[in-house]
Amino acid sequence: MRWTLLLLLCLGLPAWADLDYRLTPRQIAQGTWLLEGSTDNFAKGNGGNVVNTAFIVTDCGVVVIDSGPSKRYGEALRQAIAAITDKPVVELLLTHHHPDHVLGNQAFADVPIGALAGTGELLRQQGDAMAENMYRLVGDWMRGTEVVLPTRVLEPGVHEVGGHRLRLLALGGHTGADLAIFDEQTGVLFAGDLVFHERALTTPNSPGLEVWLKDLDTLQALPWKVVVPGHGPVASDARPFAQMRDYLGWLDGLMLEGAARGDDMVEMIRSPIPERFAGISLSRYELIRSVSHLYPRYERQRLQRVDGGRVGL
Amino acid sequence: MNWRTTMLLACWMPWAAQGLATEASAHPDPVPSVMWDFYHKQLLGQAAFVFDDRVKLLAPPFAEDARQAPLEIDARAFTGEVVRIIAWAELNPLPRIVDFEPGERVLPWLSVRIRIEQATPLRAAVLTRDGLWHVGSTLIDAAGGGCTAPSVVRSQPGWEEHLGEVLGGRYPRGDTSRLRLQVAHPMDNGLVSGIPEFFLNHAELQDADGQRLASLELYPAVSENPNLGFDIQGPGLTRLVLQDNSGNRFEATVR
Repeated sequence: MRWTLLLLLCLGLPAWADLDYRLTPRQIAQGTWLLEGSTDNFAKGNGGNVVNTAFIVTDCGVVVIDSGPSKRYGEALRQAIAAITDKPVVELLLTHHHPDHVLGNQAFADVPIGALAGTGELLRQQGDAMAENMYRLVGDWMRGTEVVLPTRVLEPGVHEVGGHRLRLLALGGHTGADLAIFDEQTGVLFAGDLVFHERALTTPNSPGLEVWLKDLDTLQALPWKVVVPGHGPVASDARPFAQMRDYLGWLDGLMLEGAARGDDMVEMIRSPIPERFAGISLSRYELIRSVSHLYPRYERQRLQRVDGGRVGL
Repeated sequence: MNWRTTMLLACWMPWAAQGLATEASAHPDPVPSVMWDFYHKQLLGQAAFVFDDRVKLLAPPFAEDARQAPLEIDARAFTGEVVRIIAWAELNPLPRIVDFEPGERVLPWLSVRIRIEQATPLRAAVLTRDGLWHVGSTLIDAAGGGCTAPSVVRSQPGWEEHLGEVLGGRYPRGDTSRLRLQVAHPMDNGLVSGIPEFFLNHAELQDADGQRLASLELYPAVSENPNLGFDIQGPGLTRLVLQDNSGNRFEATVR
């Protein structure tokens, strides 16, 4: 019995010890802290920590922006916040419904969880399937993770918390319901996944690239000083915007041309990726996904009704 | 059998086994498969075959949408020699995809979208005039569930009104033209609860005079609203005649 226990301990301990996100908040503006994930894909080695989350320490407590990919991440985020400030967490704001941004919600069940109405609806429809896929991709890091829906509907406009005027923007290019948060006090723009930086953008729920391009105009026109992308490094210049426009324009042009040639999806995913995007992580992988999500719409625009109706019914 | 014969036999047997192994490894199966022998018997009637990378079976490495995974079958290396092309997904509950006879004027190339139930080897077996099957293979990963997911078509009110509608286009490419077709049909495979099989099972391409150019048998591993691509040699309009397993017949003409 003793030996069995010892053996179990030996086998089990290393596995447990590895599942630590080691979140280290980095200050990016006054009272504003970032937890920067990698630009890699979901994997068993990273526990899904491929995302940027953040928190703002205000006079009346901490506002958290996105809860991360798992219950374990959400709990680690709470601990990381507690290591920085004694102030209580007062609310969690979700930028959109994708799993890497919302599956840490369980750790914030004691505070209001705010999101756009569309985000709540999308999470209700797709949350379980997305969580299931996360278990498949990152494994044991997900243990105990369940979908927790937002508890408060956010309306666009100014949201005042503890002396911070947070301007909430209801946009939609990435998922149809994308919240961007602009802190007027610090000039930090939390762009959510409307901005990817040095990481290929993802399109599973995008209503169309033209919508996305318009959202980028809206965001860039704000008087921001620092932009926090949903994925990739923060910037204090317009590089993330320029990169996003360039990439979206390329993707759009590629699919327009492919549809005009009558190419099929499998031909499209073999398309060469321009040299200038060499530094963008996962561009081939995301091209495969984006072609699956978006190409059918481009195809349909180039097809016409050719049937002569039903015969011999 | 005396001891000498026994010894000789014992010495020879390892060599014989090695000989057999060498023969097989000249064209080894390029994908890990537990089902090849079964399908070789079931679909190819144990006929002579070779795993052949000149048959290009192209798919993304993973199915982003397991209900609509794109597939391209390219046997143009055998243009003029191809009698028939059969494709299947080994680990699908309903594995068969298409049975394609390209004829003289249609290239041995086809694009189609399929349902994937789980990560699986895919196969395209190309029968050439000499009676040999050339088998192209690839693997596709998937979160899965593509064969048992509820129909998207049936969730749209009034879908029956659009049954058999065909969207099409012709795209000139040098000596050939690419034909793209998309047919409104739920392609019910009988695996979604309470909905029996209801799928397009036959398609034929004809020239302006009604002469057959190519024929294609479809199976319910083909995705709903089937999306098909062909490459056709020579000029002239192309007629498409479709039939489903309930006897509905649909026609379209691409100019």
